[in-house]
Amino acid sequence: MGNITILTVDDSPSMRALLKHALLGQGHEVHVAEDGLCALDWLNRNIPDLVITDINMPNMDGFGLIEALRSQDRYRDMPILVLSTESSDDKKARAREAGATGWIVKPFDPDKLAAAVRRVTH
Amino acid sequence: MSGTGLLQDVRRITVLQGSFHVSDAEDVVLSTVLGSCVSICLFDPAISMGGMNHFLLAEPGEGHEIDPLKQQLYGAFAMEQLINEMLKLGASRSTMRAHIYGGANIHQAMARIGSANARFARRFLEDDGISISLEDTGGSDARRLDLKPATGQVRCKHIATADVPRNALPPMRAVTRTPVGDVELF
Repeated sequence: MGNITILTVDDSPSMRALLKHALLGQGHEVHVAEDGLCALDWLNRNIPDLVITDINMPNMDGFGLIEALRSQDRYRDMPILVLSTESSDDKKARAREAGATGWIVKPFDPDKLAAAVRRVTH
Repeated sequence: MSGTGLLQDVRRITVLQGSFHVSDAEDVVLSTVLGSCVSICLFDPAISMGGMNHFLLAEPGEGHEIDPLKQQLYGAFAMEQLINEMLKLGASRSTMRAHIYGGANIHQAMARIGSANARFARRFLEDDGISISLEDTGGSDARRLDLKPATGQVRCKHIATADVPRNALPPMRAVTRTPVGDVELF
């Protein structure tokens, strides 16, 4: 897999920095957004290879972002990973129904994250 | 959130390094002992619920490898866990109030850690739009902290480091207890 463009969406600046640090270290191009609305704004002008999004965020949460993306043809097949401190089955089921490709529990393991990124973008 | 009153006839829960707890039970008191570590106490008066976390380090240093097993000891994760749990249970960023405790510079060699922890917590809360109503950080004393989450009542007692019993500092949580980075592809 070559290097890819990833948009990460998280309302925590520190978590954004941690995630960016890990993904840059894996050689990817990384863009960040602080909530679902900011992500949609960026996605109206750019098309990444992958979106990694938190769930609990102000303005527009991760579920809303996933549903908004899946309603657009150009984002119907783009992989979307959820990265959240939550791990309940009902939240995962809701994400799956919204159209998420997978779920990663924080704190993330950089190696597992890299493997998941490889699998969903291969 | 207020800072007075003795807390008796209670169920005491110790908040260990790398962990957090949220409750609205009236008989619960969340307790910890802090040196250079920092604890954030959150209280939302709108729903009479509060929580406390306890983190060891602010952030990974520049260029440091991220150790997944130690990630939960960092402030970013500890803050997100606590805030998310409060939000999930009905709290709101606009009504939550925060206290910051700890971040003592107990040893000369650890001076930067305590200050960095307190600075990190302040910045995180400001970035997150959560009002800080009290900060008791720095100095060289350890702190014994009790929070009654249902009322927001806090007691913070300074303890000269020499007077801290060796077993008073809560042990680090077994960091392998939380599954790290579990991945599920749908």
